[in-house]
Amino acid sequence: MADDKDVLRDVWFGRIPTCFTLYQDEVTEREAEPFYLLLPRVSYLTLVTDKVKKHFLKVMKAEDVEEIWFEYEGTPLKWHYPIGLLVDLHASNTSLPWSITVHFKNFPERDLLHCLSSSVIEAHFMSSIKEADALKHKSQVINDMQKKDHKQLWMGLQNDKFDQFWAMNRKLMEYPTEEGGFRYIPFRIYLTMSDRPFIQKLFRPISPDGHAHTLGDLLKEVCPMAINNDDESRRYQVVIHGIEPLLETPLQWLSEHLSHPDNFLHISVIPAPSD
Amino acid sequence: QSMTSSISPAQTAAWRKQILEQLSERSKREIDRFKHYEQAVEQSVWVKKGMM
Repeated sequence: MADDKDVLRDVWFGRIPTCFTLYQDEVTEREAEPFYLLLPRVSYLTLVTDKVKKHFLKVMKAEDVEEIWFEYEGTPLKWHYPIGLLVDLHASNTSLPWSITVHFKNFPERDLLHCLSSSVIEAHFMSSIKEADALKHKSQVINDMQKKDHKQLWMGLQNDKFDQFWAMNRKLMEYPTEEGGFRYIPFRIYLTMSDRPFIQKLFRPISPDGHAHTLGDLLKEVCPMAINNDDESRRYQVVIHGIEPLLETPLQWLSEHLSHPDNFLHISVIPAPSD
Repeated sequence: QSMTSSISPAQTAAWRKQILEQLSERSKREIDRFKHYEQAVEQSVWVKKGMM
């Protein structure tokens, strides 16, 4: 029987097979072949696509190249969302490999943040971890760490080193036994059919009468539409890391095991396939 | 104080079994057929073992 460490490992080593194709209007000196890659679900697009960039730059002139950005079926992909979240949100129930279009022109300023170096990703990642720890432990754990410990979290993610990352991240997952969980659960709920980027509220893992809150309790409180059925048929899927946990799954366990490396539980609520 | 204190090893709640099964199905769907693809991040020997 697999134990909880295996869950952490499965989450960390999740991969998305991806086919990158250059946008048809990009100017090239010769035909650009598609490029195939296994992307880590828990990483960020602009952190793991150096090979993609190099591949397409071989057929382009330097003057035709501006900042790289990615698009899926007309939607510019936010590099500051974890890759797995982008897939769950935009490409669940579609066939693999995931087909991404690569652009080097007309950067969509209104949709995407600029990302000209990995230090931008590092700053974003560390600020998410700090925000999560503010919710979980009033920032006490992250503030007690040294700068080299923060670096270890980042380097673990950047170099895909599970042990390096978790040797430090486990400290961010601790809590006083008598409290039964974190102060608040760091979560974000994303809805494709909403203009709002995501729902994030204060929610405790344990109810005032001492019961463990579940995923269903969270959704009922902050996003009831996600679990309301319409004439017995399911209208929405609730997806985390490409799977649909049962609504009775304890939220504290989910936070400890299915959070992304940024320490947030990223939950996608997407329309259920009609067939 | 430990990460796993919230759950005992003997506990085989339906929610937990379902997560393990779905993760295994996810691996079949998203990785097994595409093992010939190049990894985005270069892997050390240890990590390659971890993938199996």
